Amino acid sequence: MKSFEELLASSAKAHGHLCPGQAVGVRMAMLGCRLIGLEDPTEHSQIKKLLVYVEMDRCAADAIAHVTGVKLGRRSLKFMDYGIMAATFVNVKTGSAFRVLSTEEARDLVPLYAPGVKGKASQQLEAYQRMPDSVLFRVQQVRIPVKDCDLPGPTRYKAICSRCGQVVRDRREVLVNGEVLCKPCAHGAYFKEAKEITWPEMNWTPASAGVSREPHRKRHLPDPVEIKEKREILHSNVEIPPH
Amino acid sequence: MIKKIKVQDAVGTKLAHDITEIRPGEFKGPAFRKDHTVCDGDICHLQRLGKDHLYVLELDEDEIHENDAAVILADALAGEGVTWNGEPREGKIKLLAKWDGLLAVDTAALAAFNMVEEVMCATLHRYTLVKAGEMVAATRAIPLLMKRVPIERAAAIAKQNGGVLSVKPLRRAKVGLIITGNEIYHGRIKDRFAPILMEKVTSLKSDVTAVEFTADDSEMISKAIRSHLSTGCDLVLLSGGMSVDPDDVTRHGIRLAGATEVHYGSAVLPGAMFLVAYLGELPVLGVPACALYHKTTILDLVLPRILAGEHVTRTELAFLGHGGLCRDCEECIYPHCPFGKGT
Repeated sequence: MKSFEELLASSAKAHGHLCPGQAVGVRMAMLGCRLIGLEDPTEHSQIKKLLVYVEMDRCAADAIAHVTGVKLGRRSLKFMDYGIMAATFVNVKTGSAFRVLSTEEARDLVPLYAPGVKGKASQQLEAYQRMPDSVLFRVQQVRIPVKDCDLPGPTRYKAICSRCGQVVRDRREVLVNGEVLCKPCAHGAYFKEAKEITWPEMNWTPASAGVSREPHRKRHLPDPVEIKEKREILHSNVEIPPH
Repeated sequence: MIKKIKVQDAVGTKLAHDITEIRPGEFKGPAFRKDHTVCDGDICHLQRLGKDHLYVLELDEDEIHENDAAVILADALAGEGVTWNGEPREGKIKLLAKWDGLLAVDTAALAAFNMVEEVMCATLHRYTLVKAGEMVAATRAIPLLMKRVPIERAAAIAKQNGGVLSVKPLRRAKVGLIITGNEIYHGRIKDRFAPILMEKVTSLKSDVTAVEFTADDSEMISKAIRSHLSTGCDLVLLSGGMSVDPDDVTRHGIRLAGATEVHYGSAVLPGAMFLVAYLGELPVLGVPACALYHKTTILDLVLPRILAGEHVTRTELAFLGHGGLCRDCEECIYPHCPFGKGT
């Protein structure tokens, strides 16, 4: 694994700014990986061995994802919306899992670990680099019963909502009185008053954009054979749903 | 797990903790010690002590008794020059100075330690001069029985820099004194500074090996410093000439002698015009005239730290401000007062 300093710098760049949450997140990820025995989780041989459950959507979450290389779309990053400064690191091969929690007392101890540093954020950033792991974190050994429908890899299950006809992947459908429903139909959704619309330039494609909007720029358009080959390389194990 | 049982049903069980007996004006101490096996004859005695019920402990694998916890905590808290011995009494262990010296406390680690629930450690102020065998801190786990993990975490926190508490021995310095001032050099008045500084130096077990008197002349002062250096002094104290008058040239003399660092002014009263300088590694202290009048001044706060090997700079002198105001009591009881304790 790279040094803390390197990881903090690259994490801050990826996140957009250097903040106390980056320091905590980078250290949380380094500790988590160490505990489950993954030295360099972003290395190709280790990348598929790791699952991370983050329990907040704060700066630290980005740092954790950056250091570990886990991604939402790869299903290696799980977002649990608990509002807790914690993350669980799972070694899929060995089953070992540790939940690392950022301690609340660390916040109170900031002035003692970084006396004389001006500005709250700067003082926190400095203190969170100076505190030992024992002060910054508590760790729980946990067991994570990972369901196969939550694992990375191709989509294994699909269902169709009997009310709206929407395809629901990965067993996220709900059974209500014997009826298969998608979650929005079963429980209501985060959106309200959904109404289907048409919109301007409905026939836009990336290819048409290249021709119509940038007429003077020569653009290489891959032929269909090339696209097909690339797909095979990138998604050799993944089912590609028909368009 | 803690179970409560009636005292009549306790025969054959082991006591979970010491049971204190107080007979007014006669006795205060443990009538029964932890792990004593209760027998028939004890029942009445226990009832006389007001015990109708007793705790029986059944330790799960992940649990720990307060006494065992206190041992783990004491061991982690004690750094160099700090020791502890004996059994915990009522769950508490005293930490003692192993040798004479200056108490150092990692206050950040101490605060972090005390933030862990169910453990505590109380210490003397850091920079307190302590004698071998003197109690410098005490620790205990608060409940009778607790989980082992928080105790181990608290111990890890305590060990982060080799222990929260340490006692730094004072080196035996060869001190060169320089008493500045035309009034003394030309014999207009008798010097009273040298005896005061000598007493402060010798009370810290260092030796004054040379004394020079100079006029308010920076060249002469600088020469005196270099002369002390050449005779093997490893600490120089200068008195007087630290103020703002035109004749106050001591600072200038220290610079002329080749000081590599000069920190003038401290956040302490008495002692605002104190100076700490270094000629390479050699410390040079400029003591303002307030030390002639006040029994306790900045010098009493800084000299032990210098002798304990600390490199004192502007920061240390500034951080003394909180608690750096002497109350100027009629009878000085320093060090048993707040002066210099806020840093």
